[in-house]
Amino acid sequence: MSLAIAGMGWVTPLGNGVDSVWERLLQGDEASATTISEQFADRVYSVFRVPESALKGISHPRLRRASAISRFATAAGLHALESAGLKLESQNAERIALIFAISNGGVTYTKRFYHEIVGTGAQAASPLLFPETVFNAPASHLAAILGVTGATYTLVGDGAVGLAAITMAEELMANEALDYCLVVGTEEIDWLLCDAYRRWRLLRMAPPIEPFNKQNRGMILSEGAGAIVLARDGFATIERAHPGGHFRRRAEAEKILKRILCDLGQMEVDFVISSANGTFVDQAESQALQEIVPNALVYTVKPALGESVGAAGLWQIILAAQALHSEEVPPVLHVDRSVRLRLSFSRTPIPSARRAIVLSCGLNQQAAGLRLAIQ
Amino acid sequence: MAQADRRERANNPARVAVTAAGVVSPLGFGLAETLESLRSARDCVTPVMRFSVTQCRSKTAGQVSDLRLLASHAQIPRSGRLHRASHMMIQALQELVTQQPEFEPELTVVGTTSGGMSYGERYYRSLSGAGDMRHAPTWIANYPAQKPVIDAQTVFGISAPCHVIANACASGTNAVGHAFECVRSGRYQRVLAGGYDALAEMVFVGFDSLQASTPEKCRPFDRHRSGMVLGEGAAVLALENLDLARERGALVLAEVIGYGISTDNFHITQPEPSGIGARQAMERALESAHISAATVDYINAHGTATIFNDATEGKAISALFNGVPVSSTKSMMGHSLGAAGAIEAVVCLLALQHQFLPANINFTAPDDEVDLNIVANEARPAAVSMALSNSFGFGGTNASLLMRKLEA
Repeated sequence: MSLAIAGMGWVTPLGNGVDSVWERLLQGDEASATTISEQFADRVYSVFRVPESALKGISHPRLRRASAISRFATAAGLHALESAGLKLESQNAERIALIFAISNGGVTYTKRFYHEIVGTGAQAASPLLFPETVFNAPASHLAAILGVTGATYTLVGDGAVGLAAITMAEELMANEALDYCLVVGTEEIDWLLCDAYRRWRLLRMAPPIEPFNKQNRGMILSEGAGAIVLARDGFATIERAHPGGHFRRRAEAEKILKRILCDLGQMEVDFVISSANGTFVDQAESQALQEIVPNALVYTVKPALGESVGAAGLWQIILAAQALHSEEVPPVLHVDRSVRLRLSFSRTPIPSARRAIVLSCGLNQQAAGLRLAIQ
Repeated sequence: MAQADRRERANNPARVAVTAAGVVSPLGFGLAETLESLRSARDCVTPVMRFSVTQCRSKTAGQVSDLRLLASHAQIPRSGRLHRASHMMIQALQELVTQQPEFEPELTVVGTTSGGMSYGERYYRSLSGAGDMRHAPTWIANYPAQKPVIDAQTVFGISAPCHVIANACASGTNAVGHAFECVRSGRYQRVLAGGYDALAEMVFVGFDSLQASTPEKCRPFDRHRSGMVLGEGAAVLALENLDLARERGALVLAEVIGYGISTDNFHITQPEPSGIGARQAMERALESAHISAATVDYINAHGTATIFNDATEGKAISALFNGVPVSSTKSMMGHSLGAAGAIEAVVCLLALQHQFLPANINFTAPDDEVDLNIVANEARPAAVSMALSNSFGFGGTNASLLMRKLEA
């Protein structure tokens, strides 16, 4: 069964709004890195943050104490519904499902909550903070703001979780009782996450992210949200969502990516939105792409926007849809021109492009893909 | 074409069999021990020793023995590094695989609320207190919510993609329910479903800070109920297309026939007081199964023993069902959050298979505000053909699952 994209919303370190972020990417812009520190540690990390201005106008009583992740998600979700021309009323509130893709959830509030327990003891634990530490807090805020009374799901995973959410949306939309599915991927940054990824040798201390480089120099974390409204009709069709699978070791990632590309590449594909981010992912994707779809143009947005983990899959889908729609692919930044891939080194027109693959290899053993098309 | 295909599938939904199950919880390791604990209405709640609870109101939880858990998996490579949640998932999956060695899922759907949270706690404590960080990479690697699922699948050579649902306390029922819908729609033939959660200090203190947990016994639906007791565990169920399961001669333990989900949007931690969210989930499960409320023989309630949950759930049940026996088995093992729905699906499975009603223990007096037929304090034999299991969670997420006994 194929689903169509009827609307999209995008909150990124380059601002919000699909058209404005897209235009900046086409121009070769990249987000400015800021630093993030922690009171009990000397180390400082570079991150790509969402500017305050991107959340202007987003207010609701449910968001008063909500974490950044919930605000990003709400902004992207509302934009997606607006761009789909969809207004939720009580009579159609049951006919829309809400699926969230997240990785670490409200990590800032989780840290604050646990910090009080560690520092002062259990009696200092805040009953106001605790609910915001629960993985489905962002989804429940958006469901309440929109008045969704039907299915609401939060999926947790790595960078591939956004595509898993699309697979789940396909399964839910098999039921004719649903007309729409709003899928939101969202992530917020915290120093703790940077530190964890650094200890795992996946983080670079300062930009740039250099995709497909022979040396995996690491990625820079970013935050934000991406949202798409899935319907039975729309401007772009998700022809197939591939649930992928998991790999036990990093060295096995290439094998599963090849399987995904083989399955999705059965029809002619014009370009691939890769998840290359300066880590082991790049080598695995590069090998798989060279072998299975050597003629496809390849683009990764991570040097420009950073690695947004839970939001990353939705960002990739938005990019694929925008590229198909506008018949252009932005330039891949900070890439070595000797890379043996057909990369989009500059703003590249793709006038006859009809199909794209979104490939996502997560940092925590999950991989998935999907194929998008326009008429 | 797609629409015609969708309609064809919708008009001819596949029947969904449970062909194997595995469980580990405070009630025991495996189906046999769980059955024995349920039949004897055993109180499996014990004092918490894993972390300090001196400043908490509540001091007890339903807990799984580490000694037994780790001893069972000593042969697994790097067993000592795995999170307890991974060990629980491995334990549950081992039992399932022993029953159905040839079960090869195309998809795995598992619920959780906290993943490897206690490793996150260790990491933060060591980091903020300038402690020993030598094990930090292990803590980080085993923290993600999908890791216990991948660990368990890896041990048994399963490579299915996994979807980890984190819908708070409804996660386990959502996972089994979504897996049911995947098979029923015909998109999948075999799906592994379940839930897991391991006790963690942060979560324990969190519920305590909300004054949702009790310093006393867990007394669901009782007039003197004073809150929940936390628990932990894991359970998995093999869901298959019933016709294909029968074709290959698989033993069918029960049939999943309905699933309902609703969102009530009232408050992030409290249910809508009228019980509309709970009621909608149950109504949708009944609609999905095309059966009437009168055919349900047993309800395994969410029954956390908090004032709010039991009042709203009680209202919703009594509005829909007329005197159906109800129990909350959380009274015996505590509330295992993301695992609860999957464990309680296994409890329903056992009730259907062995024809008995599991008990709601620590019950002293009925709540005048809630008109329910509580299976008080002792399990009892009964003809059980149809069982409903409820799970409700933070964020106003509600889920109900319907299972029935399948005659040979």
